[in-house]
Amino acid sequence: MTTRPEGPAYAQAVWSWAEHLRGGGSTPWSTWVASGSGADATVPPAWSAPGAAQLELVRRLAGLAPARGVDPAAFRALADVVVARSGPGRGLAQQPLSFPPGGAPGRRFGAPPTDPSDVPPAELVRVAVGTLTQLLLEGPAAPAERTELRRRRFSRSPAFALAGAPVTTSAVRRALGVAGHAEGGRHPRVVLVAEPLDETLAQVWSGRVQRGAPVRWGGFVERWSRRRTLPPSADFVRLARQWAREVGRERVHVVVAPADPSGTVADLLGVRLGRERHPELRPRWKNLSPAAVDVARRVNAVLNVRAAGPRRAEAVRACASLLAAVDTPAPRLALPERFGEWATARATRLADDLRADGYPVHGDLVRVVPRFESLPTAPRHDDVLRVVVDACLRRAASTSS
Amino acid sequence: MTRVVYLHVGAPKTGTTYLQDRLALNKSSLARHDVHYPLNLHASQFRPALDLLEMPWGGLQENVDGEWDNLVNRVRRQQGKVIVSHEILAAAKPTQVKRAMAGLEGAEVHLVYSARDLARQIPAEWQEGIKHQRKQGFAGFLRRVQTSRRTKPNMWFWRVQSLPDVLSRWSKGLSPERVHLVTVPQSGAPRQELWHRYCRAFGIDPAWAPEQSDRENVSIGAAETTLIRRFNRRLKQAGLPSEEYRRLVRELVVHQTLAQRPNMAKVTLPPAAFPWAEEVAEEWIEWVVGSGIDVIGDVEDLRPVAPSEGEGWANPDRPRRPQMVDAALDAMVALALEAAKRPDPHEQLTARIGRAARRLRRP
Amino acid sequence: MSDPVRQDVPVRPHRVRRVLVHVGTPKTGTSYVQDVLFLNRETLAEQGILYPAERFDEHFLAALDLMELHWGGLETQAVGAWDRLAERVREWPGTVIVSHEILANATRQQVRRALDSFGDPATTEVHVVLSARDLVRQVPAEWQENVKHRRTFDYRTFLDKITDPAREGELASWFWGVQEVPDILERWAGSLPADRVHLVTVPKPGAPRDLLWQRFVTALGLEDVELELETDRANPSMGVPETVLVRRVNQRVNNGVLANEDYRQLVRELLAHRTLSRRTGSPRLALPPDVRDWAIDLSESWIEALAAKGYDVVGALDELRPDAVAPEFCDPDAPDESQVADAAVESVVTLLEEAVRLRHVEQRLNRDLASALAELDRSRGLWFRVKRRLVNIADDNRAAAAGLALYRRARGKVPG
Repeated sequence: MTTRPEGPAYAQAVWSWAEHLRGGGSTPWSTWVASGSGADATVPPAWSAPGAAQLELVRRLAGLAPARGVDPAAFRALADVVVARSGPGRGLAQQPLSFPPGGAPGRRFGAPPTDPSDVPPAELVRVAVGTLTQLLLEGPAAPAERTELRRRRFSRSPAFALAGAPVTTSAVRRALGVAGHAEGGRHPRVVLVAEPLDETLAQVWSGRVQRGAPVRWGGFVERWSRRRTLPPSADFVRLARQWAREVGRERVHVVVAPADPSGTVADLLGVRLGRERHPELRPRWKNLSPAAVDVARRVNAVLNVRAAGPRRAEAVRACASLLAAVDTPAPRLALPERFGEWATARATRLADDLRADGYPVHGDLVRVVPRFESLPTAPRHDDVLRVVVDACLRRAASTSS
Repeated sequence: MTRVVYLHVGAPKTGTTYLQDRLALNKSSLARHDVHYPLNLHASQFRPALDLLEMPWGGLQENVDGEWDNLVNRVRRQQGKVIVSHEILAAAKPTQVKRAMAGLEGAEVHLVYSARDLARQIPAEWQEGIKHQRKQGFAGFLRRVQTSRRTKPNMWFWRVQSLPDVLSRWSKGLSPERVHLVTVPQSGAPRQELWHRYCRAFGIDPAWAPEQSDRENVSIGAAETTLIRRFNRRLKQAGLPSEEYRRLVRELVVHQTLAQRPNMAKVTLPPAAFPWAEEVAEEWIEWVVGSGIDVIGDVEDLRPVAPSEGEGWANPDRPRRPQMVDAALDAMVALALEAAKRPDPHEQLTARIGRAARRLRRP
Repeated sequence: MSDPVRQDVPVRPHRVRRVLVHVGTPKTGTSYVQDVLFLNRETLAEQGILYPAERFDEHFLAALDLMELHWGGLETQAVGAWDRLAERVREWPGTVIVSHEILANATRQQVRRALDSFGDPATTEVHVVLSARDLVRQVPAEWQENVKHRRTFDYRTFLDKITDPAREGELASWFWGVQEVPDILERWAGSLPADRVHLVTVPKPGAPRDLLWQRFVTALGLEDVELELETDRANPSMGVPETVLVRRVNQRVNNGVLANEDYRQLVRELLAHRTLSRRTGSPRLALPPDVRDWAIDLSESWIEALAAKGYDVVGALDELRPDAVAPEFCDPDAPDESQVADAAVESVVTLLEEAVRLRHVEQRLNRDLASALAELDRSRGLWFRVKRRLVNIADDNRAAAAGLALYRRARGKVPG
């Protein structure tokens, strides 16, 4: 039989490679072994080899660390967090590294060895999510964010209220807040932002996850598709009617799928956005890419078993801010096809009811109906991995400085 | 003004549920045309019929004493046309017929009887029996039907289905033109044909009852019926109260669940029974023609239609097992959901008591 | 969290503390062991043996925490559970027993954290206990367990997944994680001397009923303790047609037809455990000949590897070798439909009775509620009476009366 992976040569190779990675190196395992590096290394007695996924993740992190401003000491600390842990939740068993690379398995039991570069992205994501969760729980608390501007008693800004698609309204609320216009006031003009139903659901999902829910996109849609009602901020008809009872139908403006939401709303309220009086304001619900929301919901799942109460809430908040900082824009998720009929019917009814109720409408209500563009219906593992890796590096960089 | 009473006495399984529901739905519209269908709080004339027949009925514990007289009083208060319709009336004994007729004295009484061929009635009645917690197999049921007396019958089937016997009992003292036989069209007839025949029998314009009924006495397939039969055997041991049987087995499992299953294998008469069934039909037709009663439809409808050559016969007592398992799975899901629907009583209770407590604390 | 008996423990002359970790495997009588330990924890404590549990599933929660596992929302109760357990382990001067079968799946890092948390290695003697049964019995049992947890894959798919050497996917990973005896012992006991590793083998069918328990007594060092044993030792398992039926039920009620809670109550508890497992005469689940050959071959290599390690075997390694004579294989992917039909009819009747029962419970509770409210309205200030009534109602209630067994099964033995 071939060399057992647990033999001394194996331990020397893995240990020396791990040290190489810890020091910021990013040589692939196969190259490392082929070069015969570390053959004379002395492995510390109590050391036990991490799995292929952990080490491969360290290698990926190492490749990006300099560009993300992670200094060597901070990187070593980050690498130690990765290798000291295993992936949370369920996934593949921790696999030993193939040795010699590509060689036959040396024994009849234990997880089959693998070349670290062959570890599926899903496994790297799992290990990285565990690492990120650990970093969020360990590091210093994130500075509190200001997400709302309190309206002063004798404000000269027009009285207004925003409702509807949560992420869009958060962005609009922030834009108005930065310019010094706070929501509230007596007898407000109400702006109901009606995004297409699929987009709105994606925003509600994002908001739910940013509040700490570990729910998947598919599961989220599934649950709502079976209920008679829509999520409160997606039920435009109910929102509009509630406000109409309070301020009158003519003061409820329905803005449909605006290209420039803040500009449109500002125009409607007759205010200007030019001045930056409160640039420190942050949107309550971040506009995260699907991959970033997916990272957050995976972190939430781990947090379920790792933290409770305020500690959990703090980690959830810190996670959203961190993700917002590393995220790059990406198209939203489409509804899985089996919900097509439900969403179309539901959205058509929303549009019909809004039309029948007779509010001032800005834009075409038909746009509320999803169009089922050929977008992905679930986040891709590669995108998720990219976001979570960046988040780990960002966190590592910020805690060290 | 005179009063004309149409007494529709069956038979069961001839679209009576649909008819009665449509009459009930259009009660006020019909009344505007002086056609009355007297009902009390209950949706049908089942209870008065039961009272007249002095019969016990599974699942019905309440007293029906006096219901027939109440109905007769209500009939007497009406002018114009009055319809009384219930299919179990067909089973009335001569003394009960006499009592009924005596109560209607002074009115012009028309008797209406609807009939369908035996090849369809026998499987339908068997199925109906199974839905009422009987346990007999189809073969046994058919044998009893074939060997029982058809005149002065003891067997329930013939008491309501034996056309000459029912009509002889009920038409005593009525001239043949006041006795109307409605035949149920063979399959392939237009959907509304039977309803139109009933309208002709009662002398009403179909337009007076525009509201359609969605009630039908649904039928299930062979595998499904045998499945229920097997429950019945087991439920006998379990001692399920008949009220629960009605609610859970008949309503939930049969009507709401099994009847919705696609591609069910129908229960049909075995080929060997057709010559006998044709003979009986011949007797009936002879009797009808000879009696000179008013036939609405075609007496030929009463002849059983044999399956075409080569069409195999499936024994309903030995249904295909996979179909039966499949039907059982549907039943299981329905029952599991029914059980799951019961809210957790504890939680609900706590919440409600909590609300009560808040109410209490309020000044 | 105070331990009622911790204060005046008769400290035995132990120079070192002993910690016994029982880490699996599933389906080897682990629940029974845990029940006995839990019920007798005060007696044990008097003898210097701690089973640190305030609730019967404490070690399960601790394992969830250690392994960062989610378990249908239950994991939120597990926050910090391992550290709390470890703290009690460290504080105890005598012997401590920790037991849960999902621990078998812990990675080396998790094992390291667990062992380190038990206390200073110089004064703490850690023993690992693993109970094992031959693969020919474990594999079908695992499929059945999966079916009882809403899985819908057929038997062959399951067998293909677990026999694929690549072990791709969560199913195979989990199966081997909790079943592969030599690997579990290497992960858990790689750093321990062989005489601190105790492998309990499950006796073959036909052995005396309490033999397995006697072996646990030996492995856990409970000889001197007079324990009250549970009488109900039945580990309910279903035959082929019954398992097939549950699998078909899953196909219909997944996708949200039946909520998890209702599935657990009606399908797993009422049908699988209380109805279908009690049917006798159905063919049992077994391995098809090809998989059986594979399992026999694999068992040999395990026995060889385990023998070479020199672990303390309580029982005999030979018992891990499947029987030479194979029972007749009845394929659950092509079952006898009339047997399935029989099981289905019985299930419908059971569900009918349950539906009736629940309706009656509901009616009775509504009556009780009505009178409680009436009383409330009549006599303000008599709030305690209502509370008392509420407690009475809860005693009668299905949720409250469900008991230990039901609750445990709710926690499941398979990833849900």
